Amino acid sequence: MDEAARVKIAVYGHFAEIGTRPSPSEVAQRAGIGEPGVLAAYRVLRAQRLLLLEPDGTTIRMAPPFSGVPTQHRVESGGTSYFANCAWDALGIPAALRRPGRVHSLCEQSGEPLDLSVERNGPEPSPWLFHCSVPAARWWDDLVFT
Amino acid sequence: MLFFRSEERVRAWCADRREPLRPRVTMDQLWSLATTWYATRLDEDSRRPKAEEMRGIFASIGLDDPFWDPSADLFA
Repeated sequence: MDEAARVKIAVYGHFAEIGTRPSPSEVAQRAGIGEPGVLAAYRVLRAQRLLLLEPDGTTIRMAPPFSGVPTQHRVESGGTSYFANCAWDALGIPAALRRPGRVHSLCEQSGEPLDLSVERNGPEPSPWLFHCSVPAARWWDDLVFT
Repeated sequence: MLFFRSEERVRAWCADRREPLRPRVTMDQLWSLATTWYATRLDEDSRRPKAEEMRGIFASIGLDDPFWDPSADLFA
């Protein structure tokens, strides 16, 4: 496995187990490589659109579907709490973990709370909708806004 | 990428913000996208779908509007 793959597994493994973003030193320890190698791998993973960094270039903002910062989309699964980057990623977290979860979010227009049970085979029947203002071709122009 | 309680809520939000009304996605469609994108994300050899794959994925669940085309230049 190359270093970028080892770092990816380390980052995503940390998110899955802990629910929060890892520091470069935590990734280095988990991946078994030095921090310079971790930061070099971050650039590779960014190019593969598997990671989004803060402007400092070392702090993870997103490892989709996981968010490194609190958001309005929260997921509870297996006794761990996670933040998702968006509505899509809120369902993406139970999908990535391959275990049931509960999505807590809200209606962007009315503020009504969403409390959605997601099983291994999908969400419970729900009339709620997903809407994205940004076309697919522009998603990564500004992923935080998207 | 947001949740809305109903079609009416989406329309009201778009009108209030003068945002264009984009295709609405059901929760079942969203689950299809979530699993396609992320079910193997914790695996060593997982990767994000490529542009040409994305078009097929969206079309397979009825999302065939140019809005979903990652190569479309209609929105530049």
